Amino acid sequence: MLFNSLSFIVFLVIVLALYYSKIFKWTGKKRMLLLASYVFYGLWNPPLVILLWISTVVDWTAGNKLAIETNVKKRKMWLLLSMFVNLGFLAFFKYGNFLLENFTLGMNTLGLAYEPKPMDIILPMGISFYTFQTMSYTIDMYNKKIKPARTFLDFALYVTFFPQLVAGPIVRAKDLITQFYEEKKATTQQFIWGTFLLTIGLFQKVVLADTILADVSDQVFGSEDILHSLDAWTGTLAFSGQIFFDFAGYSTCAIGIALMLGIILPDNFRYPYASIGFSDLWKRWHISLSTWLKDYLYIPLGGNRNGLTRMYVALMLTMLLGGLWHGAAWTFVIWGALHGVYLVIERLLKTKINIKINAFNGVLLALLTYTLVNFTWVFFRAREFSTAKNMISSMLFMNPEGSKILHGFDIIRVLTLIVLLFICHWCMRNTSMKEVSKKTHPLILGVVWGILLFLISIAQGSGEQFIYFQF
Amino acid sequence: MNLKQSMLIAIVLSLLSLVAWECYWRAQGKIPDLDDNKDLWAVQRAKVEHLSEKGVVLMGSSRVLFDIQLDEWETETGIRPIQLASAGASPLPIFHDIVNNTDFKGTIVVGVTPGLFFSTTYPKAGPWKRAQSRVDYYKNRTYAQRLNHKLSLPLQKNLALVSTSEEGWSDDIDLKSLLNTINLKNRTGKPQFPPFYTFAYIEEDRNNPMSEKTATDTTFANSIKSVWKFIIMSNNNPPEKEATTNFFVADAKKFMERGGNLILVRCPSSGWIKGGEDKFLSRADLWDPLVKATNANAYYFEDYDQFKNLECPEWSHLSAPDARYFTTELVKIMKADGVISNTKTN
Repeated sequence: MLFNSLSFIVFLVIVLALYYSKIFKWTGKKRMLLLASYVFYGLWNPPLVILLWISTVVDWTAGNKLAIETNVKKRKMWLLLSMFVNLGFLAFFKYGNFLLENFTLGMNTLGLAYEPKPMDIILPMGISFYTFQTMSYTIDMYNKKIKPARTFLDFALYVTFFPQLVAGPIVRAKDLITQFYEEKKATTQQFIWGTFLLTIGLFQKVVLADTILADVSDQVFGSEDILHSLDAWTGTLAFSGQIFFDFAGYSTCAIGIALMLGIILPDNFRYPYASIGFSDLWKRWHISLSTWLKDYLYIPLGGNRNGLTRMYVALMLTMLLGGLWHGAAWTFVIWGALHGVYLVIERLLKTKINIKINAFNGVLLALLTYTLVNFTWVFFRAREFSTAKNMISSMLFMNPEGSKILHGFDIIRVLTLIVLLFICHWCMRNTSMKEVSKKTHPLILGVVWGILLFLISIAQGSGEQFIYFQF
Repeated sequence: MNLKQSMLIAIVLSLLSLVAWECYWRAQGKIPDLDDNKDLWAVQRAKVEHLSEKGVVLMGSSRVLFDIQLDEWETETGIRPIQLASAGASPLPIFHDIVNNTDFKGTIVVGVTPGLFFSTTYPKAGPWKRAQSRVDYYKNRTYAQRLNHKLSLPLQKNLALVSTSEEGWSDDIDLKSLLNTINLKNRTGKPQFPPFYTFAYIEEDRNNPMSEKTATDTTFANSIKSVWKFIIMSNNNPPEKEATTNFFVADAKKFMERGGNLILVRCPSSGWIKGGEDKFLSRADLWDPLVKATNANAYYFEDYDQFKNLECPEWSHLSAPDARYFTTELVKIMKADGVISNTKTN
């Protein structure tokens, strides 16, 4: 079920009505939320709910065993079982075809004629998100960082909680399970703020991503021509905006919906396009994934504890796997690799150059960071390396005779929105929406909110799926 | 932060704006209508799964959609056909789906619009892809998508402002369509697609009469004609006569072997389009060999005095009154030939 759909509006109204009715006690409400979460997921593809159940049962069992087991070998076995099941699902459903394609390519390169039929595998929506979430529970249990969930219901709800089930934020057990122990009820302020966040999220997705930016990005990346620089840049900038509004929009909706239930989810984005450098970017972009990768991959790989070279290797490996997490294609690996290289270069430069950031050089560095990020988005969006190569060469002004495929107004509307996006991120860099709202007169906030609702209603959209659902 | 006050203002303001927006567009002549999208099609396609031998399924391109009116067919035969014709699309993928993925062995009427029927079997070509995407959507649609469609119907039927369409008509009034109407100087150097306005009103069971404006307003009809000209003149692909005929004949034989009743219909066209079809997609070259190869019952509009003088306001589809007449007369002819029966009298 998509947040930007009529069925979700009906679903949410029913869930809220039941949640705030006096029919259920807290355990009953949690059961209702769990059932609602399965309905939310199952309305897309009912049989794939079974995967959620298997993940839940395996990690619940592993977690309980890890809580009492003292034998080191046995503890490792339980951890490995959880990793095997979760990563096994991920490998089969998400990377099955990719692995087969590359195996076939390898065989053919060796001169062996091997042509298997492609596997007809459905990618379960949000599998990367809930897999990482459940794995974090078991790994934290193994490392004795958390206590086991008190009840199976609390744990199952942690794995399946519908607002963040299919595209995050990836929430840690200590931050979410414990919230299920005591009865939760949003205060009036929380409920209305949650509604406001839901509106902001839908506006970002329906109006900004789908209505204003998506077509231009699709047109440019779908073109087989070698493009004029202006078209290539406009398409890439459009995608940079589209993916931000799409994903941040989803996260904002998720946070808002959870807040309407009295549950607090962590921020996933903090105005990332105003980042100064790439370390800063990864503290602002998809925060729940970057902290997951840091805690469960980068640090176990040694982090910065074993010298510079090992640190750079760990960083590159983390970013390469981060790229692969996004999708089963080499273009995603290159996207991760570019980010890894940027991070390594930044760290090297920081050892040699010490810049004191002020407003002037800050904007310039943020612009430089954003420009470099755009080159990575080309690999993220392009389905073929040939497309990425053509786009990059056009963006580097190497194709002055390239095709002009975009209309004048398309370019104007994309560039205007992207400039506004950058200014907004820069201005909001050190604050938050809540802080700004507190300082805004209620009348102005109400008018802005009303305009957003109106624009969402007239944009309508055709129920476009969120980009990150495929990851 | 007084959020209660802000929320109240937001609700009142957004509701007032939406009411004003609705009134404005109604004042401009916009009326609530349904979108002929993949959901609407899929609901009809689902009905074929349990259709008896008496059932009738219509497929083809937009001519069958416009020219065969379900009410008249039902009045004449007692059976309301299922309308699966898809505008701008080849009927081959849809016929292939019904023949190979259902047990249906009733009557299938296939409209043969030569420019589309014989266009291609290449999966990525527009006419094929348009039809195949609907077949695929029917197979893959989720329960959430079904529910969304059901919930959207009352809104589409009652609110003019609910106006997003799969086709992307130039007179859609959703925000994206409105933004797309802003044109600056053409920098692409390529000819621009002319404005394409919706020219029919589709009903929930996909009965699709032409709008009165198209039939009576010559300027409006001319705008549709300029779209046909643009599409036809920019298509340099010759018809794939052999591939399309062979593909269809294989399915036709399979369908008729299991007892199905296949009827081919060539609906009227006129003016510039008729001239082009006669010259480049002639009956002798395409229709006659197809009829011979399938051995199906076949009706070519020019063979009947009743249809010879029918004029299409925009060269390709009949006006609503003419479509009603065409359907009634066509069914009478078919009944007289014993090709279809009347369940009301049987």
